[in-house]
Amino acid sequence: MEAAQADPARFEALYRKYVAQVYSYAAYELRDRHDAEDATERTFLAALAHLARFEERARPDDGEGASTFRVWLFQIARNVVAERHRARRRRPETPLEAAAELTAPLDLERDVARRDEAREALGAIGRLTGDRRQALVLRFVDEMSTAEIAGILGRSEGAVRVLIHRALRSVARDLDGRAGRDG
Amino acid sequence: MPGTDSRDGAEVDALVTDRYLESLLAAHALGADLAPAPLELDPGVRAVAERLSRSLPRLHPSFRFEEALSARLTAAAIARRLPQAAGAEGVVVPMPNDVLAGVGGPLDDPALAAYLDGAGFDEDADHVRPLLIGGALTSAALSLAGAAFVAWRFRREASTPMARAIRAVARTRLA
Repeated sequence: MEAAQADPARFEALYRKYVAQVYSYAAYELRDRHDAEDATERTFLAALAHLARFEERARPDDGEGASTFRVWLFQIARNVVAERHRARRRRPETPLEAAAELTAPLDLERDVARRDEAREALGAIGRLTGDRRQALVLRFVDEMSTAEIAGILGRSEGAVRVLIHRALRSVARDLDGRAGRDG
Repeated sequence: MPGTDSRDGAEVDALVTDRYLESLLAAHALGADLAPAPLELDPGVRAVAERLSRSLPRLHPSFRFEEALSARLTAAAIARRLPQAAGAEGVVVPMPNDVLAGVGGPLDDPALAAYLDGAGFDEDADHVRPLLIGGALTSAALSLAGAAFVAWRFRREASTPMARAIRAVARTRLA
């Protein structure tokens, strides 16, 4: 991190380390491959442009290699994704599910279609409200700690724990309800 | 207060869930599918947590996109690095070490005196090092050098008739 701040050309290592995580987050949020790529690109370009502003908040007793860079990067990603959502609202496009069926812009559902439970889980996640959905994606897909998610969402750790707990209960009810209707 | 009890209860449940998720994700990192669950954990929450942890994939961008963005970032990084590098927009000139050390020494340094007097300068001398001009440090160093040069020229006897004339005019004005 410090090396990249001293020499922007060394940003490459950070990019390689986090590109899949940022892309994954954007893809789950936007459900469109092109939008996810665009959000990923904007996130990293913004991070590079403002790298000098990043302040390391991790302390030595947080452990060797501990860094708050990922939180900072995902704060940028979250803003980029929110901006994309706002743009969609201003200029409505084809409904996401219809678009997915017609053009399969994101392989997410196709990749995991072999397992019905995965598809159902993805659907349930997609039906959650914004913060709940983001919290679950960050927790389960990007495998972030509660503290990191709290930093990204701008909430306390306790609030994030409750958010995730309620999101899981909501998904459980959703899946149970659908299973009951299907059965 | 039922509201407080309810809130506390939710926080305790959330804490139990959080601990379980920690162990579940740690187990996944080690290649295991399941982790021991505390008795207090809601069975529905446990089931859905296990389901999400094994069925939500991390997505990867295409190789083509990843490499294209890498190239774009590298170009942007280089574009940002160039103006930051001291001397990128300046030139390199040899200057004595003492010029950077302070204003006390340069006037007594024969090498600097020779350089300022235009009498030649030994670039191979040990006390010479390149000075990058363009950064804040070198700007300050040049300002010091400039001040030293003006003071030295003012004190030193002029070597040409024109210089003596100009200096005489200057002394007259100062007087």
